Amino acid sequence: MPKCNKSEAQAIDYVYGELDASQVVDFEHHLSTCDNCTRNVNAYKHVLHLVDEAEAELTPHIIAPRNLEAKLYRRLAEVPPVKPTLHSRLSDFATGLLLTLREQKVVSFCLFIFAVISIAFFVGNPFRPAPTIDMSQIDSADARIEQYRHQDIQRSMEDVLRNKHLRNSDGWDTVSQLNRVKDQAQGTNWANIAKKHLKNVHSEL
Amino acid sequence: MDKLIDDEMLVTQFKSGSQKAFDELMKRYERKIFGYLLRSVRNYEDAEELTLEVFFKAYRALASWQPKAKFSTWLYTIASNLAIDYHRSKARKPVYMLEDEDVIEARVVATDISSNPEKQLEEKERGRIIREAVDELSSKQKAVFMLTRYEGLQIKEVAETLGMAEGTVKIHLHRATKKLQTLLRPLWENNEI
Repeated sequence: MPKCNKSEAQAIDYVYGELDASQVVDFEHHLSTCDNCTRNVNAYKHVLHLVDEAEAELTPHIIAPRNLEAKLYRRLAEVPPVKPTLHSRLSDFATGLLLTLREQKVVSFCLFIFAVISIAFFVGNPFRPAPTIDMSQIDSADARIEQYRHQDIQRSMEDVLRNKHLRNSDGWDTVSQLNRVKDQAQGTNWANIAKKHLKNVHSEL
Repeated sequence: MDKLIDDEMLVTQFKSGSQKAFDELMKRYERKIFGYLLRSVRNYEDAEELTLEVFFKAYRALASWQPKAKFSTWLYTIASNLAIDYHRSKARKPVYMLEDEDVIEARVVATDISSNPEKQLEEKERGRIIREAVDELSSKQKAVFMLTRYEGLQIKEVAETLGMAEGTVKIHLHRATKKLQTLLRPLWENNEI
């Protein structure tokens, strides 16, 4: 006789109907060749049959307890009622809403569509992928802004010098214009250039 | 609409103040819970008392209960815990429905007058011996065995009810079956049962 490779646990699972269909076929095939497992299975079945019979004697006595409802409410009246917490109230509200939505399928569907349209209207299309940001573009934009700023300062400085030399403008006007350029050029070399010109104008005055 | 949703709806209705919803839930499960507890404690009055306790606890806790599992599973959890506590606190052998012994005897005679009274007594004795063997199981083994065998719960549901892993439930069930076999085998081999 071949050596038995099945565990007792498998025999018990078989008796309780806990094996799946393929395992049952495999185990029943094994039973046809293994006396030991057949003996075990029969013993377990017999045990369960005996216990079932003994427990069945109690079944006629299993009836709903008398006056359970009245006894329960009498008992409940003796103790103070439990006050629901804020958390339990909130979760109850959410559960109730969920259950209602599960029941009212048409309403749920309409609410979903309404939510999608609202999001699309106020926030943007939720199904469109988020735009990717090109960091190199940001860098070049910053550089361009800085470049325009330098150009503006340069233009202002040229205007001041042009007014001073070509139009013979008033010295104090030149000072105030240079001061404006100096403020505008904070943090750049143009500020130093403006200071130099201011010094010259002051010495001329 | 399936029964699970029905129970959940009743719970929701109870939470919004409907007393009738709880009465309906109690009507659905009082017999089942009582049966489970009667098999567990083997005493009619105590089982009745514990059934009341189960619904008392359920009523008080239902306001904050979240439906993670079935309502019935939750009730069985309360009942199982109470039964385990009962066995721990009493630490005694179960009384076999002593107060109803006469009722049982009268019922047996009334249901089958034609049968042999001697045989009936033998069968009654046999039933008592077997139930005593069941009561030899540890409280967890017994709870697993009863829930699987007589309450029709799946292994997964028993695991949820008793707060165990499914593997642990299977181990308890295997041990319970083997222990019953060990306890009862000598009796049937000697033709005593």
